[in-house]
Amino acid sequence: MGSVLDVVRETQLPVLAVVLLLGAVAKFADRSQRGQGPAVLLPVGWRRAATLAHGVAEGTVAFALLGASGAAGGAAARIAAAALFACGVAALVVLRRTAPETGCGCFGGLSTAPVDWRSIARSALLAVSALAAVGVPATAAGVVVGASTGHAAVVAIETVLLGVLSPESAELARRATRRVPCAVREVPLKRTLARLRASDLWRINAALLEDTEPKDVWRHGCWRFVLFTGRRTGRCVDVVFGVPVEGRRPGVRAVIADRETGTLLSVLGGPADGGRADPVPATASAAADDHRAVGRPRAPRRPTSARQRDLL
Amino acid sequence: MPADLRARRRYTAAVLGERAAPEPTAAEDPDPVVRGVITDVSRHVVCVATSQGEERFLLDAATTLWCGREADRSALRVGDDALVRCRAGRWVAERIWLRIARVTGVIAARSGDTLEVDTGHTGGRRPVVIPYRSSGRIGVRHPVLEPGYLFDAIGVWEDGVVEAAVPATTQPPLAVWDAAPREVPAQAGNRVQGAVSWYDPAADAPEQAGLRGAAYPALDRDGDCGPECDRVRSCLPLPLLSLGTTVALRNECAEAAAVLPVLACASAAAHFCDSCADCGPGEQGRVAQLTLPSFVALGGRPEAGCFNATLTVGW
Repeated sequence: MGSVLDVVRETQLPVLAVVLLLGAVAKFADRSQRGQGPAVLLPVGWRRAATLAHGVAEGTVAFALLGASGAAGGAAARIAAAALFACGVAALVVLRRTAPETGCGCFGGLSTAPVDWRSIARSALLAVSALAAVGVPATAAGVVVGASTGHAAVVAIETVLLGVLSPESAELARRATRRVPCAVREVPLKRTLARLRASDLWRINAALLEDTEPKDVWRHGCWRFVLFTGRRTGRCVDVVFGVPVEGRRPGVRAVIADRETGTLLSVLGGPADGGRADPVPATASAAADDHRAVGRPRAPRRPTSARQRDLL
Repeated sequence: MPADLRARRRYTAAVLGERAAPEPTAAEDPDPVVRGVITDVSRHVVCVATSQGEERFLLDAATTLWCGREADRSALRVGDDALVRCRAGRWVAERIWLRIARVTGVIAARSGDTLEVDTGHTGGRRPVVIPYRSSGRIGVRHPVLEPGYLFDAIGVWEDGVVEAAVPATTQPPLAVWDAAPREVPAQAGNRVQGAVSWYDPAADAPEQAGLRGAAYPALDRDGDCGPECDRVRSCLPLPLLSLGTTVALRNECAEAAAVLPVLACASAAAHFCDSCADCGPGEQGRVAQLTLPSFVALGGRPEAGCFNATLTVGW
């Protein structure tokens, strides 16, 4: 019985260290002006500093739990962890009363769900865990190195328990399963250019281009347009590629136009005149259909003579 | 190479089809909205110097004026900016707005009755004075006039400074940094309903007094919003667009519609999640800011500040 209790107490050290490290990293990563958790009770100018100070404290205690041993180092780290979580309980109770719509901020921007009994119970549980670990001779790193099946079982049980007590798990699941509609999705230009350069249309028309860096870039819902200057049969031309912002094999389209007159010389890779190609799905209910048809690009087809309509 | 905005629309239409990027609607002929400077005033005629030349408008019994509030003809002064909505083939002035101005954004500083409002990365900070006679009306719709709170009021130019006269919409008693983070929309269609407000491009560039078009609150960061971009996520599912794109707008209050080019970034408008009460409560959030002449041409009343509209991208 004694050895089981020892295993449970030892296991608290790596669990606490991981929770504190994740909390610290999330607080450093959160850049919102509003701030999260108890920091929102402070004047706006102090919120970021308070959040960073909280993150530094958590990180310091986490590293102390990982490596410090003995009465001076080890016990102090565990008591500090217990104090951090106990203060967290008090702060969350106050936050729930004064700003009930605010998240606990325990894991930065992930903790935006309003504070409820679960967040408070989790902090209380972790405070008790830290107190239970006072007096354990090992360090968190030592426990991990010498972990047994018993330690793994306790970690598994605690992970489930913490998962149940964490509103962040629902948020994580929501973010993982949610698809941001292509029309509102921020897509880095680099990714668009990579998609373009992997396309057949790029390979076929690259020889026309004077420079491989775009001269203009613009967005139209689910499409991004990239303009290059080039020469074709002695004429200065604009080569404009339309690149869908999503789809695994995007159906890139292009037009080539005389730069001086604006006359279209070629339309490549898709319907251009009179074709319905909405930049965003027509209605929310039609989104799925439009994803197949236009909102989401179709798989590219090689620009054969039937699809490559030379206008001159 | 500066972007050729007309070429953008043309190429977009070439790649996606004309319905995705229709041509902007031409102004009515004769254009019922005129912007200029008053050069002469008599009992029945007002002369306005526009970019096309000087024009005379008859003042009849039905002609109304607005200069911070409803005004009579004694408010007409030579040298004043005037926005005229005409009828009868551009002969008769139906309504004239004098020295009208608007300040929309986040309060950056306050000193007595003067606010400094951050109007976004393209407009910078603008001072606005709230005179005592307007402070009651402004205070009802803007309960807190402190840094960090939203401000949107219509007023008049007085000695180079905007004097707020009427609030545009009701703002929450929350600083922008205390507002709940906005969710990424789960769905986005090509039609979005919301409020349309106006801005005056002539405040920065007098030669643009008659400009027709719209500023849009969801410009692409890589394309046009740029490195100084301070755009936040709108509370409406607005498709990302760029300058030169055309959008169709339908005024649900006046049953008028037009296709307008996107001319500027309306990053400040993205902060506003208010609803327009001009013709009944509409959706919360702003879909666009029209230039002042476009707003009036589409049936808007500048002193009301907004109308409810449907924005369509690539119909």
